[in-house]
Amino acid sequence: MIINHPLLGPRDSEEFVYLGAADLINRPNNWEQDASAEDFYQYQYIRENIAGDHRELWYHEQGDQSWLVVTRNTLSHEIINVELAQDVSRGIGRGK
Amino acid sequence: MSDYELVVESALDGAEHEFKGVTVSEVIGKSLVMIALPRPKFKEIESSMIKSCGLALPEMERSTQSKDSSIVLWRLQKNQVLAYFSYEGNDAEVNIANRLNSPAYYTDQSDTWAMIRVSGPRSRDVLERICPIDLSKNVFSVGNVSRTIMEHIGTIIYRDDEDSYVLLTMRSFGISMLHAIEVSAKNVL
Repeated sequence: MIINHPLLGPRDSEEFVYLGAADLINRPNNWEQDASAEDFYQYQYIRENIAGDHRELWYHEQGDQSWLVVTRNTLSHEIINVELAQDVSRGIGRGK
Repeated sequence: MSDYELVVESALDGAEHEFKGVTVSEVIGKSLVMIALPRPKFKEIESSMIKSCGLALPEMERSTQSKDSSIVLWRLQKNQVLAYFSYEGNDAEVNIANRLNSPAYYTDQSDTWAMIRVSGPRSRDVLERICPIDLSKNVFSVGNVSRTIMEHIGTIIYRDDEDSYVLLTMRSFGISMLHAIEVSAKNVL
C-alpha cells in the first residue's frame, strides 16, 4: 500500500504505524464537568465499524515523524485522501 | 588522571568491500549534529547561518551546502536539520555551534550512527532491492536525503554524488545493514 504523504510524496506503508479512527483528535474538553464521563466513554471506546471510506490516523515513524489523517476505503484499501493531522486539527479549531 | 584511556573505534572497523561496479565502505571522519529549530526563530536562524557560512535552511528531504562545501544540512523533519560535516574531534557540537553561530539547539549524534557509502556505476541496482524509495536518477537527485526503512532497519539515505549514496543506521544495526547491502550486491552483481 502506498501512502501519498503531503510533504514527502508517495511512501511505502511499511514506514508507517497505524493508530485508529481519526475521531481520536476530538478529545473532549469538558473534563471538569459532570457530562465528561459519558463523553470520555464515547471518545475512548465507541467506534463505528465502517464498510467504506474511513478516516484514520497514521504515524510516519520511519520517516519525518508526522501524524497523518488518511482516508482509506476499508473494502478496497484504496487511499482516497491524505492530510497532515496538524492541519486537520487546526482546521477544527484545536491546537496552536 | 585515570589509569585507562578510551580508544576511539568506528562502528564498522573501517569495513571496505569491492564488488564488480560497486564499492561498499564505511564513512569515517564525518560528524553528525542534530540542530533543533524553535519555530518562532526559523528566520533568525536562517539569516545567521547564511551570514556565517552561506547556509540556507533546506526544503523537506533536501540538503544545502555551506560556501566552502564543508558542512551539509539535511532536512528530515520540519523542525530540525542534521549537520553532516568533516570533523573528527570529540566536541562536534561546540565546533558546529561556533561555525554556524545561530540560536538553535545542538545535539551531537556522531557516534550513535553507522555510516556506509555505496558507490559505483551499479550502486542503484544494489540499493533498489532493499530501498522502498524511488532511487531513479532524476527522481532522487544529487543532494536528496530521505529517512526510510530497509530490511526492517530505519535508515537515512543521502545521495552525495552522481553514483554515490551514504546510508546511516543506528550504530547497533550497522553490521546488519552492511550484511543486507552485501547480500543484495551478491544477488545483483
